[in-house]
Formats: sequence, structure tokens, C-alpha cells
Amino acid sequence: MRIIKDTNIDFMQQRKLAFIISVVVILSGVISLLVNGGPKLSIDFKGGTLVSVQYNEDMDIMAVRSAMGKLSVDGQDFDFSREEIKHFGDLGAVLIRVPHIDDSPQNFAQKIVDHLYNSFPGMVPEDKSDFILGKGTVSPKIGSELSGKAIMAIISALGLILLYISIRFEFRFALGAIAALTHDVFVTLGLFSLLGYEISLPIIAAFLTIVGYSLNDTIVIFDRIRENIKSSKKESYNTIVNRSVNESLSRTIVTSLTTFLVVFILWFFGGEVIHNFALAMMIGVIVGTYSSIYIASPIVIQLHENSIK
Amino acid sequence: MNSKLTPRFLIIALVLTWAVWAIWPTIQYQRLSEAEKETLREEGKLEILESRTIKQGLDLKGGMYIVLEVDLPTLVENLAINKDAKLQAALSSVRDQLLISPEADFFALFSNISNDNNLKLSRYYYDFGSSNEVILTALGEESEDAINRVLEILQNRIDQFGVAEPTIQKQGNQRIIVELAGVQDSDRARSLLESTALLEFFIVKDITTTNELMVKIDQTLRGNKDISSIVKDDSADTKTSIEKDDGTVSVSELFGESSTENNTDSSSVTPSIVAEQPFSSLLRNLGSTIGVPAKNSYALRKMLELPEVKEKLAAVGGKFVFSNKAQDYPTVDGDVESVYSLFLLEDQAELTGGVVEEAKANLGPQGTTSAGQPIVNLSMNSDGARKWSIVTGSNVGRQVAIVLDNKVHMAPNIREKISGGGTLIEGFANIDEAKDIAIVLRAGALPAPVDIIEERVVGPSLGAESVKRGTQSVIIGLIIVLIFMLIYYRVSGSIADFALIWNIVLVLAVLASLQATLTLPGIAGLILTVGMSIDANVIIFERIREELRKGKTPRAAVDGGYNRALTTIIDANVTTLIAALVLWQFGTGPIKGFATVLFWGILISMFTAIFVTRTIFNSFTSGKNLNKLSI
Repeated sequence: MRIIKDTNIDFMQQRKLAFIISVVVILSGVISLLVNGGPKLSIDFKGGTLVSVQYNEDMDIMAVRSAMGKLSVDGQDFDFSREEIKHFGDLGAVLIRVPHIDDSPQNFAQKIVDHLYNSFPGMVPEDKSDFILGKGTVSPKIGSELSGKAIMAIISALGLILLYISIRFEFRFALGAIAALTHDVFVTLGLFSLLGYEISLPIIAAFLTIVGYSLNDTIVIFDRIRENIKSSKKESYNTIVNRSVNESLSRTIVTSLTTFLVVFILWFFGGEVIHNFALAMMIGVIVGTYSSIYIASPIVIQLHENSIK
Repeated sequence: MNSKLTPRFLIIALVLTWAVWAIWPTIQYQRLSEAEKETLREEGKLEILESRTIKQGLDLKGGMYIVLEVDLPTLVENLAINKDAKLQAALSSVRDQLLISPEADFFALFSNISNDNNLKLSRYYYDFGSSNEVILTALGEESEDAINRVLEILQNRIDQFGVAEPTIQKQGNQRIIVELAGVQDSDRARSLLESTALLEFFIVKDITTTNELMVKIDQTLRGNKDISSIVKDDSADTKTSIEKDDGTVSVSELFGESSTENNTDSSSVTPSIVAEQPFSSLLRNLGSTIGVPAKNSYALRKMLELPEVKEKLAAVGGKFVFSNKAQDYPTVDGDVESVYSLFLLEDQAELTGGVVEEAKANLGPQGTTSAGQPIVNLSMNSDGARKWSIVTGSNVGRQVAIVLDNKVHMAPNIREKISGGGTLIEGFANIDEAKDIAIVLRAGALPAPVDIIEERVVGPSLGAESVKRGTQSVIIGLIIVLIFMLIYYRVSGSIADFALIWNIVLVLAVLASLQATLTLPGIAGLILTVGMSIDANVIIFERIREELRKGKTPRAAVDGGYNRALTTIIDANVTTLIAALVLWQFGTGPIKGFATVLFWGILISMFTAIFVTRTIFNSFTSGKNLNKLSI
């Protein structure tokens, strides 16, 4: 069976259109990031408290909001009714995110859990440990350290990859690959911002995996270009690149399809905790495949054309 | 079979046998029931088995993860001999700078600030050396030593608390990471870790001094703008204070004893008691002690932090300390409110916990006031016992407060001189709390306070759900990919499927032998490996198809396909390996789990795709004269 027969699509002809699409998607992401004042960061990076609890019955978010509006610990009053409060998986589970407060009481996460437990008697499991799905408190101190580390990780990964490709291929290939990767990360980041999802530690891991995956895809095509340049000196650079993309198209589609299928299953069946991670991966697989054809390869052509002028 | 292929098959067989051997304990362990585990534990075999299995991360098993940070500024402050305002000012500016840039090195900051302010450290730390540099180096060593002691003490406490497989490790030079799997009562574990276990004995100031001080604090705070933001309108209502007919409260009445000082302002009629007596209006008379209704305690703590209040306290040489828990008291209108007790103590401790030799939790013996209540029995070493007998002997009739971690547990009256050093502490909510306190007292006080800077708790039900969903996803994903390959590449697809299954088994085998921890992101990594490891096969198969289309024989096509695909596969995978390595280097906990799986998944998929499937293909094409390849 073959999905893709011998093709001869002029991908490089479409590159202008593709550039426009990419620019539009990235710009709308960037605008969304600017409007929201940067990516929505999870407590991993910002510090704060996250609590998720499981009620016996379906809960109305508005009821939880009003309960969270009057939390009092030893006379210290808090109004969290406008914080992020949402269902977590099923309708009985509720997740609450509270920003970091400088003089918050000791063991604040537990105090919130207790308040949520006591506010709705009769709707909670008898055993409190069945009520708590999870809780977490991160001090902003750790958060800011982690942000620095995450940025360092992404930069050092990109740097090492640039180095490797420069050695194995040529420098312009490395630039093409890095452009494609940056494109992928920005598109995913922008889409996350547009969708209102937060960037947590696992999402950073997903980003780095997207980087790895997209690169994998790009290099398979580059490899073909390298091979075709050696074997045929007569054809134009443009034609060679286009032929290489077409020749590896079958592999690109099959691999992207299988990878997409598994992350889709992860997204669909994997449960609430892994949901956004899988979503980032799904976006990443699609964008990664697209970018190796429409971003990485055209940039190599462009750089080649510039160099012979 | 071609004899050249024999060594290759031998290698494959060896690797597969090893994989089964490595993964077997994990399978065995999964199939054990709780009762069987218990039997094995008693025989001591469970630990051996566990050491060879893949561990589940806290996100799968449920449990708590805590990062503790040793409070270096306080440690250094405690080490100083003649503490004065200048040193404290320097340390507090270090603290402020650390809040702004948490990554900064404490000792570097301390060194800068000392030099800027011409602070001669030898005044405070003459034991450590004479020049600032020497002292700072010595303090650095001292703090490292202190952190190691903290680590040891925490280890000790946790061991006595009784948790299966606790992990305690040092991270950097001032953090400690504690992982407790399956801990249900995170509250209890938290206080066990956080407690400094600093036990102190203070003499309680007499009532007259306390009364006078409160009047002075009220006077100082009167008209203070900062207070209105702290104190709520309903703080000082009729329920919490005893009112005169004219609507004011006098401090003397709060205590039921006449004050020597005549409060001239008490007669003036003011609209708000809070404005008149901002401090004492928040209090409540509990007979022999001062009470602070829980709802006022935040406001009161804030007031006690005000510099003008601190000044007044310093003038009398005392400090206010809260009781460790609130008790329920009926209010005037029949409700019940919980009330903390507040004690004015001498600011220097008479005796500290270093003298404790043994601490045991018990129920109070019959015939005493604490009959049936949880108590902790202390015995002191000879030095402590001697001091204790002096303290009690010279303070008969006065109250002594037993303070643990800056909270008053009890403040009994000294009836007679206590010699021998045996002491009993009461004031615990339940026997578990008494046991935990006994544990921390036995393990000794921490040389420096620790702060919990990160805490994550995963409930057991969420963990179980994650395991179920994760496993489900892996199986479904695997089956879909297997079927797809079978349809798309037929017989060759089945070879790839064979390789894929072995790929997963090998990854798990490596994880088991590395004793790695499988986390939820790790499971995601496993699924990703399924998707991506197929890639190597796809690259090869597409190449073989191309070669076949060029009219090559199956054998030549297989050879050509593999040779040409090899560089592509290596180049493509090395870059993903780079990403995985960076993640591993940077990541903590769950992320590290993901990176580990990804790393080994890629390495192994290269092995299975290049070596294992090639060998199978070759055995197909070399033996008989194959003229058609099912691909």
C-alpha cells in the first residue's frame, strides 16, 4: 500500500504563500502574547498555589467562586472569587489557582482545601484524602530560577543543534533548521496564548521535544538534498531542493501520521494531567512537518541564492 | 541460514534474553498482592525485588514532594556572639536583596554589604578568625556543615515517622529535597519536616508588667493610620471584650486586676473602641491568661511587628508568644469561638532544648491533671537538670512557658524546685502530635530554621487514574501503530512491528536496570518513542521501495536501502538526542523522567531498526532466491 505515489509538487513555488501564512499565525500569537502581557505562566514559574479537589457530585463553578470569595484564616481575609477556578476532568473535580501572597498563612494550600471541604458539607467524600486530588505551592523564588533555567535549556539545545548541523551539513542548513525550530516554538507558544493555556514545566518539555521532532523531520529532507546535490550537478538548486522534498514526502507523511496518532491518543485518553502536554505535542507535530517543508528548505534556497549573487 | 548471520542473531538473542531478565522482577512485582508483599517483606526478600524494578514516580503513586531551604541569614545570625543592631541591619539588607534576586549567593552579598558598611565581622565571629575573608570562608564551611546536619536530622525524623522508601537529597548548597511516597497525611509530614525542634523554657512576665505594657502599646498605637488597614470593623465587638456601660474597655478589667496606672483616656467617650485601644480591644479575658480570638490573631500579629510596638517590648525586655493552638470558648451571645492564648515572656530563654536527652510520647498517668491526655515526657542531661533545678528553684510561684518552635505549649506555675530534670509537656491535639513532637525532640534541633519553598502533593486517586490512563494510551497507541505498519508495509511491516515491541521491552528493561523512576511525562515519552521509533523503519522501507522501483533485486534493494538510510537515521536521531540530553540536564523530577525515556527510546530504536530488522531482512533475502519482497 502507498499513500503517496511519485509526486512532483512544486513546494518551493508555494513558499511565498507559506511565508505569509506563517507570518500571520506568528503575528497573531505575538499580538496575543503582548495583549496578555507575555505567556500565561503556571505556578512552576510564577509561584503560587494550586489545589485540585474531587466532590461527590457535579459542582457549579459559580458556587465554588462564591465560597472562595470568603476565605478567612485567623482573621486574614482573602477574596479568591476572581482567580482561576475551573473543572478538572469531570464535573465533580475542581481546580483552583491562587497567586503567591507574601504573608500567606502557614500551610496555605491545606487551608484552602479545608475551606473547600467545609464549604460544601454533604457533597464531599468522608475520607479527606479521597477529596484531595493534588495540591502544590511554589515560592516565586523557585519560579524565577526555573524560568532562567528553562530559557537556558532552550538556548543551549538550539546552540548545540546549530553546531551539529553546521558540522554535518553546511552552515546555511543549520540556519534553515534553526529558523524552522524557532518558527515551531513561536507558533506553539502563540497558539497556547490564543487558546488561553498556561505554560508549565511539562509544556517546556513538550517544546523541547517539538524541537527534537521538527529537527528530525528537517534533517531527513536536508539529507536528501545533500545526496541529490552530489549526484546531479546540472539541475538548479531550486529544482534539487524541490525534488528532495518530493522524494522524502512519503516518509514525511507516514512518520508524521503515526506520531500524530499516538500523541492524539495521549491527548484523548491520557487524562487531565497530561492533556495540555499532548496538545502541545499535537500542534508541534503538525507545525514541525510543515516547517521542514516550507520554512527550512526555502531558507536554504534563499541563502544559496544570496551567496551566489 | 547464512553462517555470516549467526553472530548477529547471537547478539540479538543475548540482548533479548537480557531484556527479559531485567524486566522480569518488575512484572513479578506488579503481580504481587499486598498480602504477598507483606510476606516477602518479612522474609527480607521484598527489598531485593524492589531494587530491581522500575519505580513509579510520585505523580503516579501519590505522595508528597517538598523542597526545603535552609535559612542561611538566620543561621549566620545565630552563630554571631555579640549581636547588635548594626549586624542585624546588615543581615536584613542581605535578606532584602535575596528577595529581589533569589539566585544570588548569600555569602557574596554578605561580604559586599559588610565591606560597604565597614562592618568588622571579627566583632561577632572572633572564634572564626580575624579578617572578614577568613571569617566568611569559615562561616561558609560552618553553613555547609549545618546543612549536612539538617539533612541527617531530617533523615532521622523521617525514619522514625515510618514511611516506605523516603528519598532525601541535598540540592545545591542550601536546599534539601524530600520525597515521601504514599503519604496520606501531608499536614503531619509537613510539620515534622518544618519543625526546628527548638525547645525553650521562658519565665512568664508578671501580670502588672503585662498590663502596663498593654496600656503603653495602646497609647502608642492610638491614631496610627497603619492599623485601620489591619483591623477589621468587627474585630472589637462586644463578644470579645468586657465593656463598660459607656462603651469602653479598660485593660485592667480585661485582667480582672486593678492597674496601677490610671488610664486617663478611658473616661473619655470615643465612638470606636478600636481607635481608643487598638491593641487591647482585640484581646479577650480568659481568666488567668490573655486570649486572642482566632479571627483577630492576624491583626494582632501584624501589630506586634510594628516598630513602635517592638520598641515598647524591648524596653521591658519581653516578647509576646502565641499558644500553639486555639481552644474553643463560649461567647457572650452563646456562640463558640476559637481563641489563642498570648503570653508575655522574658526575652531570654532560661534553658534551651539542647539539654534534652530523651523524649517519649505517652498518655498522662491517672491521678494527675493531665490524666488520659497526650503528653511528652522529657528527661534532661545532668547539665540541663542542674540548670533546670536552679531555674525552678528561684522562680517558685511564677509561670514558666514551655516553648517549642516559638509557640507556647503550656505555661504551668512552678510549685516547687524540680530536680532530676524530668519534665512533662502537655497541650497536644492528639497522641499523633505528641509522638511527632517526641520524634523531633529526640532527633535534635535543627541548627538553622528551614523554609518549605516548594510543596507538591498528589492524591492517591489522581495517581491511580494517571497510571490507568497512561497505560491505556500506551497500549492503544501501540496497537494502532502496529496495525498501520502491517497494512502499509505488509510482511516488512510485521518485521518493523516485531522491532517496535522489542523496542518498548528494551526501554523498560533499561529503565529497570537503571532503577529509573517512571513518571507520567515518562509514560508520555514512551508513547512518543512508539511514534518516533517507527520513523527509522519508515525511512528504510521507503528507500527499499525506491530501489525496487528502480528495478533492483530484493537483496540489492535491501542492501541499498539500508546503506542510504543509515546516515539519515543517525543525523536525524542525534539531534533529538541532543534535545533529550539538554532536558535531562536541566530538568527536575518528572521532566528528568521524560528525558530519560526519550533518550533511551531513541538509542534503542536505532539499534532495533538498523541492527535487528536488518538481520531479519538479510536472512529472508540471502537464503533462498527471493524475487519478490513484501513491502
